[in-house]
Amino acid sequence: MILLAALDGLAYGSLIFLVAVGLSLIFGVLGVLNIAHGSFYAIGAYVAASAVLAAAGMGLPTWLAFPLFLISAILVGVVVGGTVEALLLRRVYRKEEVLQLLVTFAVFMILEDAQKVIFGTQPLFANAPMNWLGTIEVFGIFYTNYQLVLIPLVALAVLVGLRTFLRRTSFGRAIVAVTQDREAAMAMGIDATRVYLITFIIGASLAALGGALSSSTTSLTPGIGSGMIVLSFAVAATAGLGRIEGAAVAALMIGLGRSAAVYFAPEFDVLIPYLIMVVVLLIKPEGLFTTLQTRKV
Amino acid sequence: MLEIKGLSAEIEGVQVLRKVDMSLGEGATVALIGRNGAGKTSLLRAIMGFMKVTGGTIGFDGRPILDVKPHERPRLGIGYAPEDRRLFSSFTIEENIRLPAEVMKVPGPEIARRLADIYQVLPELADLRHRAAAGLSGGQGKMAALARALMVGTRIILLDEPFQGLAPVLANRYAAALRALRDSHPDIALLITESNPSLLRNFAERSYAIERGEVTEISGGLAATSLAAADRH
Repeated sequence: MILLAALDGLAYGSLIFLVAVGLSLIFGVLGVLNIAHGSFYAIGAYVAASAVLAAAGMGLPTWLAFPLFLISAILVGVVVGGTVEALLLRRVYRKEEVLQLLVTFAVFMILEDAQKVIFGTQPLFANAPMNWLGTIEVFGIFYTNYQLVLIPLVALAVLVGLRTFLRRTSFGRAIVAVTQDREAAMAMGIDATRVYLITFIIGASLAALGGALSSSTTSLTPGIGSGMIVLSFAVAATAGLGRIEGAAVAALMIGLGRSAAVYFAPEFDVLIPYLIMVVVLLIKPEGLFTTLQTRKV
Repeated sequence: MLEIKGLSAEIEGVQVLRKVDMSLGEGATVALIGRNGAGKTSLLRAIMGFMKVTGGTIGFDGRPILDVKPHERPRLGIGYAPEDRRLFSSFTIEENIRLPAEVMKVPGPEIARRLADIYQVLPELADLRHRAAAGLSGGQGKMAALARALMVGTRIILLDEPFQGLAPVLANRYAAALRALRDSHPDIALLITESNPSLLRNFAERSYAIERGEVTEISGGLAATSLAAADRH
């Protein structure tokens, strides 16, 4: 039973990780807590599901759904994320945090309604990609390969890819430099405006990728974005905002905690993620993985 | 090479630079002396493009650069070592030094050549090159910041209070490094700010004093000035 809960938690945690790591990356670099992140998740899900259904309608093979997920995630990140950053966020970076929160919250509300207008309010269901990958039996229980293998693998690839990108590539190092000291980074020739835009697009694309992957596992209804923003904020805060590896551990913790609750104390199912967050922040207010700043002299 | 004319700038409505005139020729060493809060850092930040300029011009090789974006100014060959070092703590020393050249897509062999050059002037950094920048002492950090400025500062280097907070032994060592730089790269201009004029007395060919954002040239060099006299108290 513990193993079953762990397997459930793995799939669930992986999905939250994809969304939370984007939120955390954006906060770490831009210093903005992006409430609209939940919308990128939701729009990613809707666009992917629509693309999968459209492809099926044209009689295209089911496996095409997987590249479509990736393409729609990048598309949502570039078009929606890029527009939000370039037109709105750019104007409020050095303003008060309350204003930044209000702006991203307003974007979230606008995008919520835009989703209803564009995709309708009827539930959208596109589970063909999940069924196509088949199932696997673990101790007499059938799991979908999609949830047990694909989603955790994608999460792992994102974690490793993001780490490598930030440490080994010169643009990745530029992002890290801007995060640590924007002005010093600019004095070294780094275009901080471009770093902000591309970081935001990467973060938004990750949320949209989480949405795209989830579109196969549940039916899409209005409001899925708000649930996800709260949950991914819990993960990012538990880890310490801006910590990438931390977000992976916290997502797994919260995923495992929640699925354990489903098995052992279902009435606490919804409560568990926040309970974990509260306990962690009570003991370590800066988050699990934030190291306090090193001395200056 | 660097011509500043009538430059005024403000921070949140408060004027911090008032009609500053200053010029630096090729390979010149110029000191800018003033107390804390006099506007030394503001002037260097204005040259780098981080200040809200309200009047005047900055010319570089005869070309006005006020509308050149801050991140493009290092590409002109301007290196900048800010007062508090501001190294990137999660990188090693060498990664810090290489960063600006990598960002500007300087070819690998050229980066290696410049690095070798820098380690010649600042040999102690060669031994520390793989150390994390976060673990450096104050003096080592200043050296690393100078090295990083040298990586792109092929024409001029702006040093903001490089001796600030250094123990006398380290300050001497730093000054020796600057002299070595002077000898090996006579074509690079240096603009050095300092609150303590005695440190630059034997060093700068020309000196300016800054007080409340106003800059005046000190004629006859630092040794002859009342500022230097005041320093002896």
